[in-house]
Amino acid sequence: MAGRPHTHLAFRLSGSLAGMDVVHAVVAAGHPVVRSVIDFACREAGVTVLAKVETASAAIEACRSRRPELLVLDLELPDADGFRVLSELDDVDRPEAVLVLSDHAEGDLVLRALRLGARGYVTKAEGLRDLASTITRVLAGERVIAPGMEQDAVLALGRFARRAREGAEVAAHLTSREQQVLELLSDGHTMRQIATRLGISPRTVETHVAKVYRKLGVRTRVQAVSRAATLGLVEL
Amino acid sequence: MSGSSVNETKATRAIRRLGVVVVDPFPVVREGLASTIEVNPGLEVLAQASSAEEAIAVVGGVRRSRVVVLVAMGLAGDKDSYWLIRTLRERFPGYTILGLGANADPHVVSRALFVGADGFVDKNIELDEFLAAIKSAGNEEMVIAGPAAASVGKIAEGIERRRSVGLRLTRREREVLAVAAEGLTAREIAERLGVRERTVTTHLARIYGKLGVGNRLAALRMAARSGLVSIGPAE
Repeated sequence: MAGRPHTHLAFRLSGSLAGMDVVHAVVAAGHPVVRSVIDFACREAGVTVLAKVETASAAIEACRSRRPELLVLDLELPDADGFRVLSELDDVDRPEAVLVLSDHAEGDLVLRALRLGARGYVTKAEGLRDLASTITRVLAGERVIAPGMEQDAVLALGRFARRAREGAEVAAHLTSREQQVLELLSDGHTMRQIATRLGISPRTVETHVAKVYRKLGVRTRVQAVSRAATLGLVEL
Repeated sequence: MSGSSVNETKATRAIRRLGVVVVDPFPVVREGLASTIEVNPGLEVLAQASSAEEAIAVVGGVRRSRVVVLVAMGLAGDKDSYWLIRTLRERFPGYTILGLGANADPHVVSRALFVGADGFVDKNIELDEFLAAIKSAGNEEMVIAGPAAASVGKIAEGIERRRSVGLRLTRREREVLAVAAEGLTAREIAERLGVRERTVTTHLARIYGKLGVGNRLAALRMAARSGLVSIGPAE
């Protein structure tokens, strides 16, 4: 590209690393064979591999200290799942291009990877063969996800939206006290313990619990806790 | 269709056609959409509406089991597109609601989905894709069609943000925040809601605490981003 870059071209290249001289990558994969396949594909795509690591914690450390432009990340790591790597890195430390590899292709996983900023998602069964060209496309700013997996991610988005809406609706109808009671129930406290904790009578706790059950549309504590967890009202 | 008479075939088709209600504030766009949809043999336009209230009325008059309501995001005012989607979702839980945008931002899509849309289509797609999206939605499939389809992750993040703020505030606190968004003083908010000024300041303090912010402006900014309150013109 001699002379001044054309405006259209500059626009096309925004968000892409295609114009860079050398792209640096960190490779994180649990299995040594997968690691070398990725390493090989990176070289084939003209990418310099700065570090090959085996664990999530090493991947986080490598991204923070080496600042690669590309992270090729296996979700199946021995110490934690690959999502940990993406969620622990802040925007500054997270490489601009992230390509995720996994044994699994469920929509929820793809959606989660996309939420955490992944640009590509391929399965190890299907995606290892043409990994070099996938890497090139991801570096050019393209999203690389198999069509079927993309639709699954959209379906997962639909479920996610519905749960979020239902959760927010129920939450809007819970008083602060009921929310507290629900959290203590989920932590496994008895009615008596909840009463002591909140400094109210066991009778009052029972009333709160009954109201919480009604608002959640459940009849037992187990149902209440599981429903509340599904709706994101409590964390288990 | 060998073996069946022409009349029978027509009758069967009429029953199988998917009913569509088109809601768009702009007459030219609405009519254009309606005639485009109507031409497709699998689809039938049951009604059109130009405002949220009109939409509620016409949808209420529809007698069909499968209906897709196409809601353009351009409705403005108190009863905007989000209000309409939320209200349709409450009153007609069995119907499919599709948000309809024009190069819609992921924020718009996530807010539409969060308030109750079953999917989102954009005017900026090919006609056959557009019609296919309506049909898929009618088959209860989740649809994101158009530029926003490339931002599924961002849309989910937007929904998560709405959810997390929504979960933290009670309904009363949201009401207080919504009125506060109009720029009223605590005393004016209290008058509006029919409570004491002290109650309002307590609510506000609790809201700030829950949202982890220090003042009203920061709280409003956060609530606006989450779609809990509207500030300024519609998105």
